[in-house]
Amino acid sequence: MSLIKDLYDAILVGDVKKAHSATQSGIDAGLGPMDLIQQSMVPAMDEVGRLFEAEEYFVPELLLAGRAMKSAMELLRPLMIASGQKLGTRIVIGTVKGDLHDIGKNIVASMLEGSGFEVIDLGADVAPEKFVSAVKESDPRVVCMSALLTVTMPAMRTTIRALESAGLRHRVKVLIGGAPVTSQYAAEIGADGYSENASGAVKLVKEVCSAA
Amino acid sequence: MNSRERVLAMIDRCPVDRIPFMPITMMFAADRIGVKYGQYVRDYRLLVEAQLHTAERFDIDQVSCISDPAREAADLGAEVRFFDDQPPAFDESQALLVDKKTLAGLKIPDPLGGGRMHDRVKAAALLKERIGGDRIVEGWIEGPCGQAANLRGINRLMLDFIDDPAFVQDLLDFVVEMELRFARAQAEAGVELMGVGDPASSLAGPVIFRQMLMPAHKKLVDGLKAMGLRTRSHMCGSTKRILKERGELGYDIIDLDSMVPLSAARMNIPGGVLLGNVATVEVLRNGSVQDVIDAVTQCTRDAGDLYIVGAGCEVPRDTPEENMLALLEFARSHKPGAMTVVA
Repeated sequence: MSLIKDLYDAILVGDVKKAHSATQSGIDAGLGPMDLIQQSMVPAMDEVGRLFEAEEYFVPELLLAGRAMKSAMELLRPLMIASGQKLGTRIVIGTVKGDLHDIGKNIVASMLEGSGFEVIDLGADVAPEKFVSAVKESDPRVVCMSALLTVTMPAMRTTIRALESAGLRHRVKVLIGGAPVTSQYAAEIGADGYSENASGAVKLVKEVCSAA
Repeated sequence: MNSRERVLAMIDRCPVDRIPFMPITMMFAADRIGVKYGQYVRDYRLLVEAQLHTAERFDIDQVSCISDPAREAADLGAEVRFFDDQPPAFDESQALLVDKKTLAGLKIPDPLGGGRMHDRVKAAALLKERIGGDRIVEGWIEGPCGQAANLRGINRLMLDFIDDPAFVQDLLDFVVEMELRFARAQAEAGVELMGVGDPASSLAGPVIFRQMLMPAHKKLVDGLKAMGLRTRSHMCGSTKRILKERGELGYDIIDLDSMVPLSAARMNIPGGVLLGNVATVEVLRNGSVQDVIDAVTQCTRDAGDLYIVGAGCEVPRDTPEENMLALLEFARSHKPGAMTVVA
């Protein structure tokens, strides 16, 4: 259907206006939000992710596509809430305490949202207590933590311990990433998984959610 | 041949007595003398002590003014968050150029105006005074994309490349002029080699790099050379898609991060002096001595004779001393020319 393709194309090239108008046209034509999400948005963001991994798209293209996708979601989210539709499996994401780097985290958040997840982005410099509160209040399936400095990585361990102390650790899967992070470190601190790149992070989130 | 002569000889394609050894040490150096990093970045005297100690202990061929990316930005009035024991950082939500219109009113800070840039110039002068001609004194400035990202916020800048390239061009022009002024002050204080740190360049992609960032880098490196400086390009991350361009810019030393195969770098930059690129966390910090030796051996095989031993990026704090010594020992015991082992 051409409306489906219009939205797909608009997201792929990062055209905010076209994504917005294609979404509105789709709604006006009677397409449901999940139709647009599953048939346009998710495939478009999957393709964006593939192009990013293939080093054909870079950060500007990724952010543009994410922005176009968000403009579509601005129209779809209220409709889904109004009809009681689930927004998608909930993920909490943030850069850990003491670390202000967020571009990697933003890319992962964007790609997760584009894959149909409901993403609660806590931002950067997120204290363990804030992760704990977010888990208590939002009941996510997965917590994703990012760190770009070896000196801030310990905050990942502290956050996992905080979740344990709050009796919440068993309710979530904890995934970590960031330039200095390794799978060895993930195992050492009791995280459930690690990814060295954004596409891998999205794949991992999908795997842990479908295994649940 | 002393350290300074070795580095200059490598840059000038003259024979060297052994492979030069030029890892970047910042937090690692501060830790060596028991200084918190928050003090290291704000007191040039502590930076100098740490650099001298670390260079001496590990026979590093340069002493460096590198510390953090927030000197110029701080002097411009940007909000910089300082920490007790880690590098200063920018809160993007409070970036200096959240409003693009602010650029028009920005004035290049005086590098001798008593601010953070001046602290680095003093570091350069004190390093020169203390080291004399034994080691090369390396200054540091921010590269065009990195500094633009510091001032505008990296997320915003990446979108600006597409949304408002004219603004980005104005910003890059301002940044290049500022960095050249900062470089001149460091050169006059005794710096001979200027490091240019640009962690954001690798993120924008080859098209944007060629169209917008390459001309800015070219203007910068030509300006540095006109001052008589030798130049070192440090771009964190994967620069696999812009290797040829990096080679064309004319930097004397080209650092490669660990995710860039040195074999690819050599293919695209046949005549360049390559530096790197032992993986910082996986190998240098977390690996065994043998892992380090294996990694640097492969580096030399891939890079050939025009090569300087180093890590892909900053040497992480908590890197075991024996791993750094293994890297040093490799450099000391090998020289270019089919990797002859020095007796």
